[in-house]
Order: sequence, then structure tokens, then C-alpha cells
Amino acid sequence: MVGKIVRNQKLNDKYYLLEIKCEEFVREAKVGQFIMINTRHQDYTNDPLLRRPLGVANIEGDKFSLVYMIVGKGTRLLSECQKDTEISFSAPLGSTFTLLRKKRTALLAGGIGIAPVYWLAKTLKEAGCVVDLYYGGRTMDDVVLLEELKETTDHLVVTTDDGSAGIKGLVTDPFGENVNSYDQIYACGPKGMLRAVSEIAMGADVPVEVSLDERMACGLGACLGCIIYVKEGDETLQKRCCVEGPVFDGSKVVWDTVCK
Amino acid sequence: MSDILKTTFCGVKFKNPVITASGTFGYGLEYVKHIDISRLGGISVKGISLTEVPGNPMPRIMETTSGMLNAIGLQNVGVERFLKEKLPALRKHDTKIIVNFWGKTLEEYVKVAEILDDADVDMLEMNISCPNIKEGGIAFGTDPEMTYKVTNEVKKVLKNKPLMVKLSPNVTNIRVFAKACEDAGADAISAINTLLGMAINIHTRKPYISNVTGGLSGPAIKPVAVRMVHETFSSVKIPIMGIGGITNWQDVVEFALVGAGAVQVGTANFVDPQIPINIIDDLENHLKVNNIASFSELVGKADFSK
Repeated sequence: MVGKIVRNQKLNDKYYLLEIKCEEFVREAKVGQFIMINTRHQDYTNDPLLRRPLGVANIEGDKFSLVYMIVGKGTRLLSECQKDTEISFSAPLGSTFTLLRKKRTALLAGGIGIAPVYWLAKTLKEAGCVVDLYYGGRTMDDVVLLEELKETTDHLVVTTDDGSAGIKGLVTDPFGENVNSYDQIYACGPKGMLRAVSEIAMGADVPVEVSLDERMACGLGACLGCIIYVKEGDETLQKRCCVEGPVFDGSKVVWDTVCK
Repeated sequence: MSDILKTTFCGVKFKNPVITASGTFGYGLEYVKHIDISRLGGISVKGISLTEVPGNPMPRIMETTSGMLNAIGLQNVGVERFLKEKLPALRKHDTKIIVNFWGKTLEEYVKVAEILDDADVDMLEMNISCPNIKEGGIAFGTDPEMTYKVTNEVKKVLKNKPLMVKLSPNVTNIRVFAKACEDAGADAISAINTLLGMAINIHTRKPYISNVTGGLSGPAIKPVAVRMVHETFSSVKIPIMGIGGITNWQDVVEFALVGAGAVQVGTANFVDPQIPINIIDDLENHLKVNNIASFSELVGKADFSK
């Protein structure tokens, strides 16, 4: 697919919001899915070679947005893309969050994990759910779009490791105290956090869905580079994060193999 | 579509010389959602073994400059499940099917080949060059005597299908291995597999890949591949399928000039599934514009005169 950049807005030194116009994508995409985006805006180079997997943060009209963090060469190049640039991507890819109506939900996001959680919060709110968002980062720079998030949630709890924004500490702490008041948990963020969230949810017997991130070459299910081990009954199965994921049942993920 | 790209490669009639490489195209079906796979000359499926193989622990891949490292570890569903679950659906698409296969032992190579010889596939590609598994694979591809032996034994049991042997670049002199294949009766050679590589995370000081080493592929390896296809072409008479970093039609022409009778597109399928289709269209256009009657006219036509 090809889309046109509407805006590529710097949120702070680390984070950007990229809005792309593409009717085809907007028609097909479902909440929780991701895209593999070509970060090279010129065709004459082969570096970086592979596309980058990015979670979709929002859809509005014929546009969709991505939130991304500058990590390496690919995301830096992406940050240099100007308005009106045509950008190509494979999409929509992967599994979706299970959508509920009129339930009490807790959403957890860690750092860049906010991307799919933002869209999920909006969707659940529209479906009449109670949406509490627990959003953690290392410092205040790692918690973005707070104004927008306030509008799409019932309660927004922000935590940072250094206390520079919100409560000082881990995002799992305030969540853990309230876990029993929810019908469903959703989370996206670092693997260690997702493991902790899943364990808390399982302890309280609340279903939990996590959106995982792995290095991917193709994003289409061919390279087998993004395997996630999942328990089904007595069996441990290999699932591709790009096709059977990125959304998995957190209670079934074999966390020892994921968090290494 | 015209006939200008039609290519006969060791008796198999391909609609064009662009084949997707093993390990980069799954069982073909993964790509049906993204491109019309019947446009392809052929598909070389993910390396099949006698029994199902789970592959290596994660992490398995890492991007490097203009390329990537992988140590998937030949994860595959095994020959039985391939024939039952994958092949019938793949066969519905009008493209040639090459089955890449491998074994942990000589006996396994022979057994898989025997089974595939009776299957509804067009050609076999024997992988003796995977750098990412401990047993089999590369052990057969880096010792000329073993290369001869496994090719010879497999050739003995094949009655129906042409045998192409995929060579490793991780040898000092690929000519010796090409010759061993030819002497043992191989019908064709494909070259090259990935180059053994490695990458370290300087912050954690750990290898990026759990297997420590991995196979390097992508545009970064193309000059090595071109050189090795040239060396192979100048030492054997059997046809060669050129592989290594192909991302556009110009690359295909370059491989043809040094002797590739057909090519495989690999890592580029990960970059953008549309690439092999673009290559086919662009290649056809190039031949037409330059009044070249067929792709085969280019094969081995590099000019080395001083």
C-alpha cells in the first residue's frame, strides 16, 4: 500500500506522531494490527533494508496515525520524511484485540507501547466500556499525548521510573491494586512489563491480552524470525508474532522464552 | 504477457526466470494475500526435512548494513505435512514448484528425495549449505567428497525430478564443489546460500542472534554471489540458478551475464513482496527495448576481454 504523509510531528526528542492518508488501509485495518513501513524515502539506497513494524495508534476519516520512537537509522530517516511524501507499507498485518461492549477494562501501556493502546482505548470507549489507562515510562519524555488520552479514557494513571511525571514507580503497582475491578486487561509495552501484567491478571483470574513486539524481517509470516512460544494444553506451540500475533493471550505466552 | 521471458532450465519450462528463494517465501501461500504468485517463474519452498523441525531459539534475525543475518535453523513442517497441508493449495497457482530439501544424515537426504520424487512438484533443490544447524546441511557442503557422495546417492534414487544442488559460499574454492556436483550427476546448481556472519550488541556485549552466528543475505552479498556464479559457470556445464542480493532487474541481468540461466530473489521478498513482480515486468521491458529476443541470450555473455 502507498499513503501520503499528512503530518510528521515531533512530540519530543524521542517521539513522533506520523499521520498518513490512505483510504484503502483505513477501510481494512482493525484495532491491534500493525504495518511494516518503508523508512527510506528514496529508492536509491538499500540501507536500511527492511521495513519497520509499527503499531497503529489511531484512525480518523481517511487517515491513520502511528506513534514511533527514534531507535536507530530507520526511525531517524522516518522522522525526516516531509509532509506530502508518498510512503509505502505492507498492511494491515497481524491479529486484533478482542473488542468488548460495556465492560470494565484496564489498559496498560509502557513507553512506545502506547501506540496500539491509544486506538484501543478510543474503540472501547465508543463501545461503551469503562476504560482505565495505566501508562508508564522511564521519564516524562516517555509519556506522550496525555491530553488526547484523557479524552478517550475514564481514568488516566501516569507513572514514571524517576517521578518526573505522574506517580513515581512501576505502572504495574497502581494497576495491581485495582486488578479485581476489571473484566478484561489489555497491555502493550516492554516484555518484562507484559509478563508482570499477565501474572497479576492471571492471579486475579481476569483475562489479559498483550501486544508483543519482536524483530521482524517480513511481517508476512514467511521469515520465521519472530517466533513467540505459546502454551496450548500440554503443548508448547510456535506462533509467528506477525501473523498469529502481535496480540496474544497473556496467560498462554511462555514468558521464560520471551523475556531473556 | 509475451513469451520473451520463457526460460527452460534443466528441462523445466519456467514462464520467466525469476524464482523466489527458499527460506524467504515460506510455502508460497503466505504471499498469496500480497501478490499474484502465479506471475512468478517459480517458487523454491522453505527447506523440507524428513520430520518436522522446530528451528533455533530466538532471537533469530538481525538487520545489518544493506542486509540481514538469520539463524532460523531450518524450521519446517516436515515432508509429510508439506505434501498434505501445503502442496495441494500451492499447486492451484500456475507456477513451477521447486522443493528445497535437506537431511541431518546421508540417509535422510536420500529418503526425503525419494518421497519428493513421486510428489507433484517440478524440481528438487538439495540444500547442503545451511550454516545454521549443527547436523547435516553445511557439513555436506564444505567437504567436496561429502558433496559428491550425497549428490550421487540422492541422484541414484531420483527417477522423475531434476536435481539442483544449492552451494555454500563459505568455502575457499566453489569450483571444486560445483565440479563434485556435476561429476555426481547433478542436473543444476544454485548459488549462493548465505555467508556466515555475526553481529554483537555493543551495549549488552551479547550476540544479536542466539545461535551466535547467522547467514548474511541481501544486497550486501551480491558482489560475492556474482563472483561465485562466474566461477561456477566457468567450471561446469550444467545450468546455474544465481542467488544473492537480487533486488531489481539490473541485478538479474548482471547474474545472467556471468552465467545464471535463471535467478532466485530472496531477502528482497521480505523488504517488499512486490519486488519479484516488479523485476519480471522490468526485465521484460529491458529485453524488448534492447531487442534482445530472449533471456537466455544474456546468459554467460559478460565480456572479460581487456
